[in-house]
Amino acid sequence: MRVDEFQSWGRVQAVRSPCADWSWLDQAAPLPAQDKRLAYGLGRSYGDSCLLSGGVMIRTRGLNKLIQFDRETGVLRAEAGVSLSEILEVAVPAGWFLPTSPGTRFITLAGAIANDIHGKNHHAAGAIGCHVRRFCVLRSDGTRWECGPAQNERLFAATIGGLGLTGVILWAEIQLARVPSAWLNVELIPFTGVNEFMALSADSSQKWEHTVAWFDAAAQGKNFARGIYIRGNFTAGSPAGQNPRKVHAPPRLGVPITMPNCTLNMWSVRAFNALYFHRVPRSGRKLIQHYEPFFYPLDALNGWSRIYGRRGFFQYQSVTPESAGAQPLVEMAREISASGEASFLAVLKTFGPRVSPGMLSFPKPGITLALDFPNRGRSTLALFNRLDAIVRAAGGRLYPAKDSRMSGEDFRRGYPGLNDFLPQVDRAFCSDFWKRVAPEF
Amino acid sequence: MNTNDTTPGAAKPPLNAVVFGGTSAIAQSILHAAARERSVRALLLGRNEQRLQSVKNDLTARGLNASFQCADPADAAIAWEPLLRAAMPGKIDLFLVAHGELPEQEPLLNDPAAMARTLQVNFISAAVIATACARMLEQQGGGSLAVIGSVAADRGRASNFVYGSSKAGLETLLEGMRHRLARNPAIHVTTIKPGLTDTPMTAGIPKGPLFSSAEKVGAISWKAIKNGKPVAYAPAWWWVILTIVRLLPRKIFYRTKM
Repeated sequence: MRVDEFQSWGRVQAVRSPCADWSWLDQAAPLPAQDKRLAYGLGRSYGDSCLLSGGVMIRTRGLNKLIQFDRETGVLRAEAGVSLSEILEVAVPAGWFLPTSPGTRFITLAGAIANDIHGKNHHAAGAIGCHVRRFCVLRSDGTRWECGPAQNERLFAATIGGLGLTGVILWAEIQLARVPSAWLNVELIPFTGVNEFMALSADSSQKWEHTVAWFDAAAQGKNFARGIYIRGNFTAGSPAGQNPRKVHAPPRLGVPITMPNCTLNMWSVRAFNALYFHRVPRSGRKLIQHYEPFFYPLDALNGWSRIYGRRGFFQYQSVTPESAGAQPLVEMAREISASGEASFLAVLKTFGPRVSPGMLSFPKPGITLALDFPNRGRSTLALFNRLDAIVRAAGGRLYPAKDSRMSGEDFRRGYPGLNDFLPQVDRAFCSDFWKRVAPEF
Repeated sequence: MNTNDTTPGAAKPPLNAVVFGGTSAIAQSILHAAARERSVRALLLGRNEQRLQSVKNDLTARGLNASFQCADPADAAIAWEPLLRAAMPGKIDLFLVAHGELPEQEPLLNDPAAMARTLQVNFISAAVIATACARMLEQQGGGSLAVIGSVAADRGRASNFVYGSSKAGLETLLEGMRHRLARNPAIHVTTIKPGLTDTPMTAGIPKGPLFSSAEKVGAISWKAIKNGKPVAYAPAWWWVILTIVRLLPRKIFYRTKM
């Protein structure tokens, strides 16, 4: 078998593994029994949950065919490797949109399910697992299991958010969401302090379908915990002269080379964040925006993670429960701001009560904070340990899709669904993440 | 029902297209690109029924009117004209010849039957098909023939000259055909020359920065077909690379590894 190099989006570590390329469903055949294996899509997981050293990586991106799209009902069935971008290309012109979408459209459908991804509408729509109608899982013994909410329910629930450990998803069927156009009414509102964010969240959750906040985690003093609250609703009123059902264009700019490690340092990040913050007037701004810049601002810059340099970067995404309130966020923001570690992209979002079937689903009612940090080695990891303590004390948990260093203990504590999950795992499947958090399994 | 429905070019008459090698990733991408501009009726020809069915489903889901027929383009015994007339009556606007194979070269050099098969698939059968299509274009009095060649055709290179020569033969045939048909401005013959493209055919080759996506190559190819361009490198910068490769003096060329 050919050996190839695999990376995850954070680019902290690369893995050289033998690989199998599946481009047609008839190629999805059992591998030698002794080989551990893991499906790999577009490699947008940040840490090591999409990597497996010492086993076979099964590239599923070639499984990129749509199987069926009902333009009346919005039910779409597609092979595992179809990207959300490709789904939007057919959905938007027909008046449909993804039921929920993460901050990039360059992930595969199966990857979206295996990580039970969430988006700006989580408070209203829940995670993608709430919109999956069925899928087919290929186990290492060659058997294929069609799963749905009322068919092989346990394997269904284990595979949603199951990080690829229950088998390979071959195809999946999702329910798309009707939208009046491809355009959104958007409001940008500056805020200072976590309490202002909480107030805006409480005020917006009923009337706004999509809400998120960009957050300046590097700011100190009177600017501490400042940010911009972003909320949007799809609207029938597209701008004059614009196609109401306009589909996104391919990225025009790219980062062709890996930038020097020092490109993003505390000073450049502070400068960028200040510019970004002051872009929006104190009184806020209203605009009509296409879905592309609203949902996928970073997709416009192909390969943006190379900005972080050769050492790559970490993402740290936590959710702390509603009951803990704003306190853990304030504590985390203090730690980050005092650490001198530069977080360039920090995002705050309130999760809603809708529960996904996924046993290891990450979202739960509360507040999620996602932070990017250039990999500066020990000092960055030390900060994460301090943040862990805050998340742990608040009864929160971390997102495996973004993680490459959480402890097995924190994983087990954060995911009580693990006990139901373990019997569903196909032991021929493994990932570097899994080796770390469940070495005894 | 919807005024802005899925077929933006619905006003134009549909494009009737026949694809030899209907499971080719580049051919599919060309159809996707065409369908973004007008409605498309596509007939896919190939050998693997299951895969043809999956491509048909995909195109149908994307709003194209697709059908397929199991007929191996490499099969020299098939009479293509009657088959096409029966399967797609009326004018055929685009004949797309996209079948081919890219085997690892080293084993080929010690296996005459495998080598002959590669030449049969990539050159002989494609040449026969292109000739049949050209005849139909002449009878119709217009239309397009697009054939997938390769940048590998431009100079024999140690690593890939069997495949390269099969495409070179095909490209020479197409150039002659363009010459022959030049009197008829309604007939266009386009040689598409993709470089390294990320498709199932190249699954065994490690991907580097020179690789382009099939979607990108398809979009470039469709533009060339639409404009009746005789030869299109896809992407265009491959022309620069290949011009340099072509012009390298032998003394230097033989010292390189490519």
